[in-house]
Amino acid sequence: MIRSTILLFAFASFCVNSSFAEEATELSYARDVRPILSKNCFQCHGPDDKTREADLRLDDAESAYSTDDRDPAIVPGKSTESELIARITSDDEFLKMPPPDSKRTITPEQIEILKRWIDQGAHYEQHWSFIAPQRPGVPFVDHLENPIDGFIRAELKKVGLKSNPSADRYTLVRRVYLDLIGLPPTPQQADAFVNNQSPSAYADLVDELLASPHYGERWARRWLDLARYSDTNGYEKDRPRSMSPYRDWVIDALNAGMPFDQFTVEQIAGDLLPDATQSQKIATGFHRNTMVNEEGGVDPQEYRFHAMVDRVGTTGTTWLGLTIGCAQCHTHKYDPITQTEYYSMMAFLNNANEPTIKVINPQITAQREKIQKQIADYRESLAGRFPPPPEDQHGKYLTPRENQSRYQHQQFRDWLKQQENSYVKWESVTPDKVTSNTPNITILDDKSVLISGDQTKNDIFTVLMMTDAQQITAVRLEALPHESLPFGGPGRATIHAGVEKGGEFFLSEIKFEVRQAGDEEWLPVKPASAKASFARDNRLAEHSIDGKSDTGWSVNPRIAERHQAVYQFAEPIQNKTGQIEFRIRLEHESFHPAGLGRFRFSVTDQTGELQPFDRPLEIEQILRKPAGVRTLTEKRALMQRFLEQTPLLKKEQEHLANLKKQIPEYPTTLVMQERPERFPRTTHRHHRGEYLSPKEELTPTVPAVLHDLPADVTRNRLMFARWLVDRENPLTARVVMNRQWEAFFGRGIVRTTEDFGLQGELPTHPQLLDWLAVEFMESGWRLKRMHKLIVMSETYRQSAAVSEQAAKLDPENRYLSHASRVRLEAELIRDNALAASGLLSRKIGGPSVFPPQPPGITEAAYGRLNWVVSKGEDRYRRGLYTFNKRTAPYAMFSTFDAPSGESCLSRRDPSNTPLQALTMLNSEVLLEAAQQMALRSLRESPQDIRQQILGMFRESLIRPPSEQELNLLTQFYQRQRDLFSEDRLKAHLLTGAGVIKRWDFNDGNEGWSAVNQSSLSHLKNRIVIASTGNDPFLRTSLEAPAGQLTVKFRLHSEEQGPCQLFWTTANSPVESAQHSASIEVKPGWAEYQAVINADESLTGLRFDPVAKPGRTEVDWIEVSVGNNHQTLPADVNVVDWATLTLVARSLLNLDEAITKP
Amino acid sequence: MTEHYPNPLLAQTRRQFFSDCGVGVGKIALASLLANQVGGRSSGAQDATLDLPKPHFEPKVKRVIYLFMAGAPSQLDLFDYKPKLAELEGKPIPPEVVKNQRYAFIRPDSTLLGPRYKFAKHGDSGAEISSIMPHLSEIADDIAIVKSMTTDQFNHAPAQLFLNSGSPIPGRPAMGSWVTYGLGSEANDLPGFVVLSTGGGTSGGASNWTNGFLPGRYAGVPFRSQGEPILNVSNPAGLSTEQQRDSLDLIRKLNQNQYQKLNDPQIATRIDAYEMAYRMQARAPELMDLGAETKETLESYGAKPGKASFANNCLLARRLIERGVRFVNVYHKGWDHHSNVEGGLKGQCGQTDRPAAALVKDLKERGLLDDTLVIWGGEFGRTPMVESSASLGRKLGRDHHPQSYAMWLAGGGIKTGQTIGQTDELGFHITEDRVHVHDLQATILHLLGLDHKRLTYTYQGRQFRLTDVHGHLVTKLLS
Repeated sequence: MIRSTILLFAFASFCVNSSFAEEATELSYARDVRPILSKNCFQCHGPDDKTREADLRLDDAESAYSTDDRDPAIVPGKSTESELIARITSDDEFLKMPPPDSKRTITPEQIEILKRWIDQGAHYEQHWSFIAPQRPGVPFVDHLENPIDGFIRAELKKVGLKSNPSADRYTLVRRVYLDLIGLPPTPQQADAFVNNQSPSAYADLVDELLASPHYGERWARRWLDLARYSDTNGYEKDRPRSMSPYRDWVIDALNAGMPFDQFTVEQIAGDLLPDATQSQKIATGFHRNTMVNEEGGVDPQEYRFHAMVDRVGTTGTTWLGLTIGCAQCHTHKYDPITQTEYYSMMAFLNNANEPTIKVINPQITAQREKIQKQIADYRESLAGRFPPPPEDQHGKYLTPRENQSRYQHQQFRDWLKQQENSYVKWESVTPDKVTSNTPNITILDDKSVLISGDQTKNDIFTVLMMTDAQQITAVRLEALPHESLPFGGPGRATIHAGVEKGGEFFLSEIKFEVRQAGDEEWLPVKPASAKASFARDNRLAEHSIDGKSDTGWSVNPRIAERHQAVYQFAEPIQNKTGQIEFRIRLEHESFHPAGLGRFRFSVTDQTGELQPFDRPLEIEQILRKPAGVRTLTEKRALMQRFLEQTPLLKKEQEHLANLKKQIPEYPTTLVMQERPERFPRTTHRHHRGEYLSPKEELTPTVPAVLHDLPADVTRNRLMFARWLVDRENPLTARVVMNRQWEAFFGRGIVRTTEDFGLQGELPTHPQLLDWLAVEFMESGWRLKRMHKLIVMSETYRQSAAVSEQAAKLDPENRYLSHASRVRLEAELIRDNALAASGLLSRKIGGPSVFPPQPPGITEAAYGRLNWVVSKGEDRYRRGLYTFNKRTAPYAMFSTFDAPSGESCLSRRDPSNTPLQALTMLNSEVLLEAAQQMALRSLRESPQDIRQQILGMFRESLIRPPSEQELNLLTQFYQRQRDLFSEDRLKAHLLTGAGVIKRWDFNDGNEGWSAVNQSSLSHLKNRIVIASTGNDPFLRTSLEAPAGQLTVKFRLHSEEQGPCQLFWTTANSPVESAQHSASIEVKPGWAEYQAVINADESLTGLRFDPVAKPGRTEVDWIEVSVGNNHQTLPADVNVVDWATLTLVARSLLNLDEAITKP
Repeated sequence: MTEHYPNPLLAQTRRQFFSDCGVGVGKIALASLLANQVGGRSSGAQDATLDLPKPHFEPKVKRVIYLFMAGAPSQLDLFDYKPKLAELEGKPIPPEVVKNQRYAFIRPDSTLLGPRYKFAKHGDSGAEISSIMPHLSEIADDIAIVKSMTTDQFNHAPAQLFLNSGSPIPGRPAMGSWVTYGLGSEANDLPGFVVLSTGGGTSGGASNWTNGFLPGRYAGVPFRSQGEPILNVSNPAGLSTEQQRDSLDLIRKLNQNQYQKLNDPQIATRIDAYEMAYRMQARAPELMDLGAETKETLESYGAKPGKASFANNCLLARRLIERGVRFVNVYHKGWDHHSNVEGGLKGQCGQTDRPAAALVKDLKERGLLDDTLVIWGGEFGRTPMVESSASLGRKLGRDHHPQSYAMWLAGGGIKTGQTIGQTDELGFHITEDRVHVHDLQATILHLLGLDHKRLTYTYQGRQFRLTDVHGHLVTKLLS
């Protein structure tokens, strides 16, 4: 014990201070005074100069003491001379403060405090959370060594309360499992801990849980609330996005124990780290979790602005615990953050592009390479697959191989001639200048123009270029792919929605103007024709010169390929002065941004009708050379191109195309990527926070009230990220530790986990919070270490029983005299039910999944996402892997107060509603868990009902039941069993074992026998009835409950006509017309069904084939109920199973089952 | 099977607990507990009002039915008659009219499109209503038309959210959530805020009825037109009502054991939530049974039991408010007529005109209209200019128009038989009595006895309200 204690508490130095608890007699501005002033005065006499009255600030000593032009509001030491006191005690309605119409009042006790404070000298001090925490001395109480206990017990003593004793070991083991990994222990794991006599048993268990891969899952979910993680884009379209690599990054980072400062830096600015790794880039998804509005008519830049606003607010909540977002529209009303500071902080985050990257992983790379190798090999083999020539072209003395080769070369020569004839000699031109309305322009070495940066719905590029060619007959526009473009380009459409496709462009108009060098005037020239190498339906090249902005050229679906459009003039443009200048305007008007991403112009002097030819650039360049000077490699390339185009190898080409389709794609994820230095994005202050009202341009900086930025570092996101986790930052460590505390104890030391500002609540245990924050920073920002410290404390391990004293003195348990029972989070409620039933999949990471939920949930949203339930273990994955559609979140989770991922959330407020009760009682997920739990228990203790119930009790609640509980459950069991015995059909329905009996005829006749005018034989998994025409039938005995049953069968009849089913019961053992059904059958194999309504349970079934001589073959017969066609397992009595299912359902519904004990 | 709570202190402790949690929390639960000391089989809608939060001042209405015409109906073809448009059809709109306006799809220099339907004056008030809405025309004196609505948003999702929650960004509480937060609900066996929907999903999805940062019990509960009306309200197949009751009794007894041991008031709240759930299960089938209505009623709405329609939802809305539901949102999507506005309106009005008018008449006949507010309208209006696009296959449509649009209101506190507001001769800009979305929200709250400036909730350090920092009462609307 001693050894483990020493190890555990070998924290950075702290001293034990026994005089800690002494009362301070002096009033504190921060603790006692500011809350009064903040609530009542600061709205008009606070930081915001727009709403400030009488030029007086009461949050600022200089202004409050000032005697300029007025009586001082505060005279330190002299409350009687202070105007503030005079005003708040005045009866005069015109003098009284706060003004009567403000509906604010200062109580007499508060007035007394203000007077005392002024008399004590009116010492202003900074708000507590803006002063960097110092490590306080630890009070030593009750010989406890965990510093947490010292702080907690010292405060408890002050209010006259005592700590509870430690919780029993079953409670403790379940509590620590749920807290650290979000899953319950198995009863065996719980017993092992309970029976472990070792003094280090608990510490060992804690270490084991901290090392569990499920630790990362449990704590990731809390972080994802802050990160507003979601699997869709939000707003109307709310289309899916691939973001799970970011979610998995969080899980991995937490599991690996990544220090929180690094965790921060990688998420805010991972891309800016030197030689950023893929993982560090994925981490920047944190701020890509913002919503994207893809509704047809929106201005994308407006919604990017909204996303920026969200990023600033989220950063404030997550790291600083400040409501920075309030300063979007005006200077913060309470906290010292000006509107200018708000946008200056935005400037740090605002200089990034927002691409989607591929997530390279070695398994997929290997698969890709394997198929690519197959493709390469197959391409090599094409020549060998060339067909032999038709009979009449056979050379007389040639071998088949020679024949084939000669034929191939003859075909090749024809093809090549055609290629050469259609070749147009294009000269590409380097633009002298390209301008645009918004995007950034880069001219590449290959003379192409690459577009980057922000997009609009009507991007316009103007290209200036000149040429010394003697005449120009046509201009060619090449649309080129590039790796920096969405989906590889050549366009910049980022989304697949409606008529648009990612990577596409929409060139609505192209306009040409020319002039001779030296001329002033530009002359418009309209091409006589426009032809494209490829165009999608109704979006042809000619639409780009038709003068209509709502038509244009587009190349969907051939994304990531090179395309060309040729614009030919009616008359060649002659060069008269040595240079012809072109000014070309490209207009893209679409209701989604869809500008060209990379393009190149070339010109030609060739006459005649010019066609753009759909062939690769490489081939074009070879064709440009005279045949005589082509290298061997070039000739081979031509041959290869021929082989891949010739109709004679169509089948082989299809095979190649199929192979290409099999190349697996890498998953993608959204990231931030700092813009190149030459294309900085400017950030402005926006008047009243409105997108359309940008004012002065701002440079990045942080609020003056917080610690300074380093002087000599580039002001970018990376610097900002490091500033957030600087040792001098008074907020981050406190805010983070406070949230951890909230996770374990149900409420933070500062209850308003999201607000450490002047309007936030004061900490209940300020020294403890500071101690935790300093310890956190000084011991390397390690969350696991801090979690261990917390769960090892006596405070954490107390029992949850509420003493009368505690209920009276501290009903909210602010002082932690007992453990707080906290309702499990939505996802954990489901996880726990699945774990208790044994259904839970423990697979970690990967794309989000679709567990069952009632149909129609996602149909309430615009996109009507079809919720196709995942198969296999994905049906039972942990809740954090459930696909979150923002406009139609998973119903069970929103019912249990999970966020929809629309904004940053630092704490969930659990509610108790009847809809939650309905979900727990009746939903498919919970029922399935109950069925499975019952089935398992039934099989484990087939004979012993009490044991079955006990087993399920342990699975769902972990602790053993009391005798009284077991009795209640057993009584319930007995009564329900009676009810199900009376109505077995219901037992089938409740268990989902809809199939009551099925004959597959794999093992002979399976109880059927021919009775009349027929004979029965068994043949390969079916029975064959040979009958005479005179009322043939066969019979079997059957135990089936009363009620509506469906009899299905598959048979082959030789004749058409009715066949009949009769059933018998105990009271009517003889077949009768009342107990029959008739089914019309046709010749051949078919499936049939009949619904029968049995008034009492069945004893037998009779089947009459068509009453004509001949053979009827029956493949199978099935008797079922309801819609579920699972067969009842042979070893299970359906009544037992249904009864236990009801018991299981009740257990899963207990308050205890969904509450951390 | 029912039992008394074992401990008379239980209720006392719970009252203590609820009062500690501040305004509104648990009021309904507490009220129903007091009303149902004997286990929860009785259903006492009246008793539930015992402890509801009080309005700020005497309300004019107790409940709201909001007929939300999602997609934005064309005011120019329904309410705002502009002969000048017909005269100038085919001519480009004067540039000074469209200066500095932003559009979703069309170019600002598009040509004008005349009204697609004839208009006539109706009722004593002489309200101008389109011939495509004959049933509404019959009740012209029972409604107040506002022709001068305006909004800040010109895309569906943001505009729908703006109208419902006061903000274009998802995540703020919906109007129905604010209202139930402010007033509670008189129904103890149904949710206080119910959402009905036909014609497809709304652009804002669940964000249109989210509780946002308000506690979860104020969320709008969507009733489904197919399958069970409320998610999971039906027992699983094979489970009888009797067995459900048995299960609930078992759960209650076991929970009570725990409660006695731990004294945690949350357990008591949960016990009560289960009783409410049981009552909801009992209530839902009765509520949904439109077959219980007379043939005349069904015909007047054009409702057909079992067949999902706006008509059924209007009738259901009446049944809901009769049972104490505070706020019913009836969505009907399909008004987004970028192309063929004429044909589109014909279809939409064919589905909605009769039921909406029937609802007002029916409420009036039953004496419910005096303390119910009925609102009809969309998220914005449509342009006087024509929308056409070859690449999108659109012609003779109208684009989004946030500058001006029309709605109507009926019910208690509303000065009916009047038309408020004017637009210019092209129906583009408002010239008289501008009613901003925030003004409408302030007025709705006012009618319910709530001051929009005082109905606030503190979240992330700031006091939020439905009207953000805006909103003026539309006094002309009030009787």
